[in-house]
Amino acid sequence: MEREWAGTTYGNAWMHRWLIRMLRYIDIRVLYAFTAIFVIPVCLLINPSAGIIYRYFRRQHGYGPLKSALKTYQNHCQFGQVVIDKFAMYAGKKFSMEIEGIEHFQQLAKKPESFIMLSSHVGNYEIAGYTLSSEHKPLNALVFFGEKASVMDNRNKLFAGTNTKMIAIRPDMGHLFEIDQALQNGEIVSMPADRLLGSQKKLQLPFLNGTATFPYGPFSIATLRGLNVVAVHVMKQSARTYRIYVTPLSYDREAPRQQQIQELAHQYVAEVQRMVEHYPTQWYNYFEFWKNDEC
Amino acid sequence: MEDLILELKEKIIEVLNLEELTPEDIDPKAPLFGAGGLGLDSIDALELIVLLEKSYGIRLASAAEGKNIFTSVENIAQYVSQNRKK
Repeated sequence: MEREWAGTTYGNAWMHRWLIRMLRYIDIRVLYAFTAIFVIPVCLLINPSAGIIYRYFRRQHGYGPLKSALKTYQNHCQFGQVVIDKFAMYAGKKFSMEIEGIEHFQQLAKKPESFIMLSSHVGNYEIAGYTLSSEHKPLNALVFFGEKASVMDNRNKLFAGTNTKMIAIRPDMGHLFEIDQALQNGEIVSMPADRLLGSQKKLQLPFLNGTATFPYGPFSIATLRGLNVVAVHVMKQSARTYRIYVTPLSYDREAPRQQQIQELAHQYVAEVQRMVEHYPTQWYNYFEFWKNDEC
Repeated sequence: MEDLILELKEKIIEVLNLEELTPEDIDPKAPLFGAGGLGLDSIDALELIVLLEKSYGIRLASAAEGKNIFTSVENIAQYVSQNRKK
């Protein structure tokens, strides 16, 4: 079954505004507790994500039934927390950031050539990933065209005065021209590399005790012009602290093109696996991600 | 024009990794995208943009322009013959 991500934040504009107002005055930990006690149990009962994540812990991590059930609850609580954190950031709250590998970003940002930042739906990329922008090199973040206007408005406010722009993935080819233009101008392009967005071309890759589907596009775009690539993942450490991991990825630029794509994709997936093994409850792809789960 | 069409077919097969096809299999008038033709998708369009740039020195200005050009191999050949810089 093809699985193109619709890509939108849950809730309507009124709910988003209400949440942001509330977060200006109350401690986020109060909302964490409220969500964990009153919202998550209901979600687990009515949402198919519970079964998906339970199987993720059982099959991909090999946990027992009880541990998988507990981790499923923790996973949903943490997802609630990263959503709250995102809106807390819109409300003006600050989080501490620890950065591992910032030198890789800084080195690439100094060069005249473009480079690509790849991320996945683990941790909370939005809360810090875009803050890695450089003074001299604009960062273009690929975002969902169908995202709610209230979320886009808040992103725009957040990015005002920074060197960050958004490229919306559109049903036509418009975003590809924007990406290509940015890459020709020596800019940074940040894109998710774990979901099929727009293009349905895909790669089947070994990942966490199974075979999973990854999009072909990000790896194809990076190798098309022989660009440097870094993986960027932002993982939650505590209520107010995140850790940003910037990891350079390499591939043989003299190799045939398809080999370059495979090499880069395998390296990226290995990096996502490293993150997920270290932070198993921060995996937020709530659909059947592994091939053996598809029917 | 026939030579250019053949050259484009060979380049398209190479850059899009369509190893199962030969130039003869590609109808120059058939649509490149969607059903009924080569079935290319949006990411392939980016490959074609770079192909035009690297092989013929043509830089497309917009998505709308690309949409009009990438309708068939024959159409691309026509555009290339009128706008090529190398």
